Amino acid sequence: MSFLNLKADRSKYPQRDADGKMQIDLDSHKFVKLWQGPNHPGVTGNMSVELTLAGDEIVEAKTHVGYLHRGFEKLIERRLFIQGMQTSIRMCVAEPDSNEYVYCTAIEELSNVEIPEMAKWIRTLILEMARLQSLVRVVPGQAGTFGLGLGVQWGVYMRELILDRFEELTGGRVYHMFMTPGGVRGLLPDGFKTRMEENLKEIESFAHRIDDLIFNNVVFKKRAVDTAVIDPSWIDNYGITGFVARSAGFNRDVRKSFPYLIYDQLDFEPKVMEYSDIYNRAKVRWFDILTTVDLIRQIMRKMPEKGDFKAQTPNVLHWTAPKGETYVRSESSRGEYGMYVVTDGTNKPRRVNLRGVSYTHAICVLEDLLVGVNIADVAAVMVSLQTCPPEIER
Amino acid sequence: MEFDFKHLGFTLLGLLIVLNWGLLMSALMQKIGARVARRIGIRLYQPWIDLIKNYAIRSQISHGIMFYLGPVFRFSGGVGIFLFMPLIVGSVMWSNYSFQGDLVLIMYFQFFGMLGMALGAGESGHPNSAIGISRGLAQFTAIEAPLTLAIISLAIQYNTLSIVDIVEAQQGGIQNWSAWTNPFATIAGMLAALGSMGHSPFNLVKAPNEIPIGPPTEYHGTFLGVLRTNAAILHVMEAALFMNLFFGGANNWFEFILKTFLIYFWSVFVGVVFPRFRIEQSVAWFFKIPLIAGVVAIILFM
Repeated sequence: MSFLNLKADRSKYPQRDADGKMQIDLDSHKFVKLWQGPNHPGVTGNMSVELTLAGDEIVEAKTHVGYLHRGFEKLIERRLFIQGMQTSIRMCVAEPDSNEYVYCTAIEELSNVEIPEMAKWIRTLILEMARLQSLVRVVPGQAGTFGLGLGVQWGVYMRELILDRFEELTGGRVYHMFMTPGGVRGLLPDGFKTRMEENLKEIESFAHRIDDLIFNNVVFKKRAVDTAVIDPSWIDNYGITGFVARSAGFNRDVRKSFPYLIYDQLDFEPKVMEYSDIYNRAKVRWFDILTTVDLIRQIMRKMPEKGDFKAQTPNVLHWTAPKGETYVRSESSRGEYGMYVVTDGTNKPRRVNLRGVSYTHAICVLEDLLVGVNIADVAAVMVSLQTCPPEIER
Repeated sequence: MEFDFKHLGFTLLGLLIVLNWGLLMSALMQKIGARVARRIGIRLYQPWIDLIKNYAIRSQISHGIMFYLGPVFRFSGGVGIFLFMPLIVGSVMWSNYSFQGDLVLIMYFQFFGMLGMALGAGESGHPNSAIGISRGLAQFTAIEAPLTLAIISLAIQYNTLSIVDIVEAQQGGIQNWSAWTNPFATIAGMLAALGSMGHSPFNLVKAPNEIPIGPPTEYHGTFLGVLRTNAAILHVMEAALFMNLFFGGANNWFEFILKTFLIYFWSVFVGVVFPRFRIEQSVAWFFKIPLIAGVVAIILFM
């Protein structure tokens, strides 16, 4: 049925100049300029994409941010170290615990504070729980961008299970702040591991249903396979990390490359695939769900029952850090998440700079990735990069 | 023909029944979808509340007269189908004005509503509307192709284009239904039904996150109320059309409600587990199996 292959031939139109750039003349009325966002259900968060269309195919895309700017970094720089906690976590609502970790660890490194072993185990548990609640939401959400709402609802249900455990452990569902400079705020409640195991079993069961519903779904495959393919040469040129790099055949995982907390004591191997289209970028994250479930089980099995969970630290209202600078990185569900902090001997950080994953993925990569894509797939491409705009304009 | 006020009264009563059944059916379908997704879902009377609320709100923005006429044309299409659709077999009063029309008229009214919406949305001047119109008309044309072939096949089989005659020819037992006597036309028709009911995987036209927002945002207030009223009538009438063509029609209201529910549920049943096709994929899909089934159905009765 090749006569039904309706993909347009762009070898001659739009015309290209000598260096291969498309000649787009809006006055020719052959193109339509359309904004997707900032308020649009197909845009993840507060950003917009300026699209130039030939028919319903995108020939040029520009990303625009600036709708959310709250100056997170500057807010932290004007507050005490402990006050920076509540601001840092808001730089990515979907997975705030990575912010907690990098911020706390940066302060501890600059203040020469060594956290207790128990705190390391609990922090790792929190990071993996955060990864899991993020993944179970976004993997079915990928199908949601194609109109399969059932997967999204199942994802929300699975996420609620983990949020229940977060509430039990930390008192908060979305923002937790259980990590604090010097350790964590407490030990696991009685019976926590049992209840977590019940949740993990249910999530595992749902994960396999999601596999049937989405990854074996002929319509999902039709839309996701071979759509928005990332060329392996882009990985290093753009600085692509995390699951996007792993779906393209590059084994990039901070937990393995630069082990932190107790990850060197855990047995896991992040999934790597060979071809980074929307389908594989979703599939590699589906494997990440199973890996994370296994990691949480390992942590709960290996972690000590009791122990100090917080180091001796100065009074938080009078905490000063000597002059210095540090860069702390962690592996979020989206990729390498880092924070660069400079201190000048006062009770506030001199400079804070966040390396948000979306800064790379959702600006440069997205602009190139959208060219040649059907306009109906813009939302899917953004979700396939797990875009989180607050990390961009922080 | 003499004008019969009693007949008009039954027709209006039928319209009221169909409208309310359409609203209840949409609530039931949403409820079923919600339960599959582990949610409680809406209250069964929610569509009535939405409708009353919509009719109570006036639009403050004007895009010109054609923009306003879009929903009116759409509503006329839905009511037009109702007027010429027999509801209960053998009942003069519940046959509406079906004796004055035939399948060609029903097909025309199906497209009439779409064209009205296209004119209205085009008047809004929003680029999303142009995309929505091109998507909607392209897909509807693709849906019409297998449906038309199925209808031509039935016309050849029963030697008539009258829905009343087609329904009456299927009486006498389940074995006389077109579903058994003309299975290929039924396959083509029921696959086309998936598209015409507007659920996944053929609902890109009004997909919120895939650009053209469609009626819920372009039209609001009373106009949205008119569109929702039409949707309630149209869904029942489309189900009734397929019931009359392939499943022996209905001999009483209970049978009518049961069969229209099951036929509409067919599109929901498929839609709840599938994402949506892009338009070119959707067009290509209708031009494959449904179209081939339609052609085979015609060849078998030539």
